[in-house]
Amino acid sequence: MRTTAIVTVALIRDTFREAFARKIFWALFALSTALIAFFIFLMRIDVVEGASATVSLFGRTNPRSTDVRRLVDGAYGGIATFLYTWGMLLAVFASAGLIPSVLEPGRIELLLSKPLSRTHILLGRYIGNLLVVALNIVYLVAAVWVIFGIKTGVWGRQFLIAIPTTIFIFAVLLSVVALVGVMFASPAVTTMITVGLMVISPILAQTHTMMRLLSSETARDIWLGFYYALPKVYDLGRLTMDMVTDRTAPDAWMPIWTSAVFGAVVLAAALAVFSRRDF
Amino acid sequence: MSISSEYAIEAERLTKVFRPLFGRQQVRAVDDVCIQVRRGTTFGLLGPNGAGKTTFVKMLLSAVHPSSGGARIFGEDASRPASRRPIGYLPENHRFPTYFTGFGMLDFYAGLSGLDGATRRARIPEVFARVGLDVRWGDMRIGKYSKGMLQRLGLAQALIHAPRLLILDEPTDGVDPVGRREIREILRGLEEQGVTIFLNSHQLAEVELFCEEVAILRKGKVALAGKVRDLTAGKGYRLAAAEMPERLQQDLRGRAAATASRDGALEFQFSTREQANDAVDLLRAAHCEIESLVPTTSTLEEVFVKAVEL
Repeated sequence: MRTTAIVTVALIRDTFREAFARKIFWALFALSTALIAFFIFLMRIDVVEGASATVSLFGRTNPRSTDVRRLVDGAYGGIATFLYTWGMLLAVFASAGLIPSVLEPGRIELLLSKPLSRTHILLGRYIGNLLVVALNIVYLVAAVWVIFGIKTGVWGRQFLIAIPTTIFIFAVLLSVVALVGVMFASPAVTTMITVGLMVISPILAQTHTMMRLLSSETARDIWLGFYYALPKVYDLGRLTMDMVTDRTAPDAWMPIWTSAVFGAVVLAAALAVFSRRDF
Repeated sequence: MSISSEYAIEAERLTKVFRPLFGRQQVRAVDDVCIQVRRGTTFGLLGPNGAGKTTFVKMLLSAVHPSSGGARIFGEDASRPASRRPIGYLPENHRFPTYFTGFGMLDFYAGLSGLDGATRRARIPEVFARVGLDVRWGDMRIGKYSKGMLQRLGLAQALIHAPRLLILDEPTDGVDPVGRREIREILRGLEEQGVTIFLNSHQLAEVELFCEEVAILRKGKVALAGKVRDLTAGKGYRLAAAEMPERLQQDLRGRAAATASRDGALEFQFSTREQANDAVDLLRAAHCEIESLVPTTSTLEEVFVKAVEL
């Protein structure tokens, strides 16, 4: 048990080391810091009697005062949208090389010669990669939450739900990165396929419209099949935004559990492929 | 074949067939190889390029899955991760990540071998110095290391967890002659401590100097195997015969210095003319066909060339 912990820590630390060396961690950290700095220094919020506020950006003030709570919800929604769109895209770009790099000839043989299973190697990398991105998400969301809390006096705890949901979306996408990574050992192919899944998600999510437009029953079934089988990045993003801005619990859990099933199946497939490969 | 932990390595009919994704042409990289390496010995695996040496080693480490047959490390199934606990391995074309420092790299691989923090802190500078590296280089990124230094560092990572079996692929590659001698001395010291050393090398002179036993692979098969002393012992005789009864095979194996199988025939290496004549008598008495009887040469290089030429 203790040996397993030592080995797991070594694998995670190695992923962090590589993320630091490739400047991946620092690039994500710098981007998050730039966003935080924007909210600290360039956006001024003047709260009037605790209920309404005027916002100044780059020194220019919007003369119309806004309800503080609506202002904060809007900002939370903006950050949540940024996280599950651009944030996820950047995280996938950053992670695409971290699994193929382990499979490089001359490196993988040495790893495999150690007394640990292939499942342990891949899961160690997966968890390390997830932690690199998760740390950045926690840093950005928590900092923005504190800044808005101090500037407006509104401490909307619902915003913090963006931390687990965004990490969850990334964990699902990272399973795709792992599978494509062990199959093709190519960061470019890994990025293309994972980003492709992200891009197709909002299109597949238009199920109501498509059910009306598609005339054939088979075509409708195929559409729905793809919709349910693939990860619902768009739906999960919407769900996060609804929870963050409207403070409502999700009315449908389907996008969460179907995406979780997808992630688990794909990660299991990645482990199976990795276990069978010759190096 | 009896399986016991008297041996550090036991390969039983180990075979690897590579199949292309498209097309039917298969490659038998390793074909029905049986090799036994006793504990505490120094064993050299030789063969020309493409003979299957690296694939054989990778199967011992489970980096390549055998198509058939199996291997055991100190009696444990080689496909199990625990079997690799006593192994220290140095691959030929290693590519250590350049983001590591020397100490950082050793710390990582020691961690993968399950060494705790305190043990790692104590062993890293010790092993670093033991392979002839200046500890002042320990905190330097390995991107700045020369090829010879990287080779020594590779040896250090193989030694960091005090292995009982060292599998080394061209360990002196890129190392200067003085460094080679130093590495040989390190390995000699380990041998004296009872560490089994399995050397995969093209450096025949080095193998001849260092190894007690060798196996020569040719086109994935064992072309010749035996003790270096016997294979290179002055004059000798190689007798090839086919289709002999099992009992006679066992008898001749017991008398011969080395044996090998080639193209359906069995070859026996005898050190003296008397032994060769006795073997001929036995074969004739059993009505077996003798394929050839030839005098053998003396250096390992000559033995190697003859073994792989056919």
